[in-house]
Amino acid sequence: MTLLRALVAAGPSARVVATRVATPRTSALLARRLISTTPCRHAVDPNLKRTEPGDYLPDPVAPRSPGIKTAMLSAADEPGKDFDPYKDGPSAIDKAVHLFFFTEIIRGMWIVLEQVFRPPYTIMYPFEKGPLSPRFRGEHALRRYPSGEERCIACKLCEAICPAQAITIESEARLDGSRRTTRYDIDMTKCIYCGFCQEACPVDAIVETQNQEFSTETREELMYNKEKLLANGDAAEAEIAANLQADHVYR
Amino acid sequence: MVSLARTIRSIRRVGLKEWWHQMQYIGDAKSGLFMGKDQFGNRYFENLNAEEEIPGRHRWVDFAQHDFNATQVPPEWHAWLSHIRKDPPPEDRIMQNLSPPWKAPHYENLTGTRGAYKSYNTTKPKYEAWEPKVAQRGA
Repeated sequence: MTLLRALVAAGPSARVVATRVATPRTSALLARRLISTTPCRHAVDPNLKRTEPGDYLPDPVAPRSPGIKTAMLSAADEPGKDFDPYKDGPSAIDKAVHLFFFTEIIRGMWIVLEQVFRPPYTIMYPFEKGPLSPRFRGEHALRRYPSGEERCIACKLCEAICPAQAITIESEARLDGSRRTTRYDIDMTKCIYCGFCQEACPVDAIVETQNQEFSTETREELMYNKEKLLANGDAAEAEIAANLQADHVYR
Repeated sequence: MVSLARTIRSIRRVGLKEWWHQMQYIGDAKSGLFMGKDQFGNRYFENLNAEEEIPGRHRWVDFAQHDFNATQVPPEWHAWLSHIRKDPPPEDRIMQNLSPPWKAPHYENLTGTRGAYKSYNTTKPKYEAWEPKVAQRGA
């Protein structure tokens, strides 16, 4: 016990002594290793003759001497003094004529006048429309099988994947035992039209139609329920099915 | 304002009355091939001559109603008008074959009218108000 206490008491001082003793030795060791014992791997031996091309870079070109003149340039040595940039250009009178007769402005106005007599590029919207893709993601619709049976089986994958959490589904067993939704609500004000719902759907029930003209006057009209979605699908089924048919080779 | 030659060419093709009608609605003199008429009476035209119609303006609709609206176009013709389908619906065999017998009629966007969609609940209510049933007292 006393021995231990003596050791503990003597510990720091003993350690200090040890470091004092060891420090010169380690530094000397380090220095030796850094200077002489560590091989520098990327150093090139100057005496070694290169036989094969190590890389495909060209040999360095020796720098040419800039000469003695660069160090002592005077005003007489100003570069480009003998070059006249206005030699081949219009004269001052020419430029003054163009300035005072507004020729540039008249040329610009002539271009505007030409456009007046050309057919306009504007697409007159409700009569003509810009091109849409068969994959365009617009208003949602619930589809039916060709027999008239609704497709949705209330698996709730669309509800799970919806990043905006715009879909609400409640399901119940029908009288014939099949599981169907009793509530399929989409809050179209939350929807971000990402198309994940139609990607997630295993039976192609929920789709986004090509209809983008469903703006409403009140916010309430955008809280779609199942009846509204099924009505959308019933009206647009031919277009939806034709778009899926056109796109099926890419899926 | 359009090209004078284009206007005169269109007037010679469609006649003064049709040109006046176009100027009242489309605001431009256009002439092209009549592609068909939908169930609402909207007429659809196409002019694929790039010299006469700039590509992008080569399909257009002439609405039957004075109070015209983009949603008065039924979905089949909407697909053609938006350049999704190449052929118009009367000639599009794929779209005809995919039209189901239970296809519902198309309605235009009825917002702002009495026919506007109004959201409602499609489920049975979770709880119902208590309706006390009074047992018949013994006579």
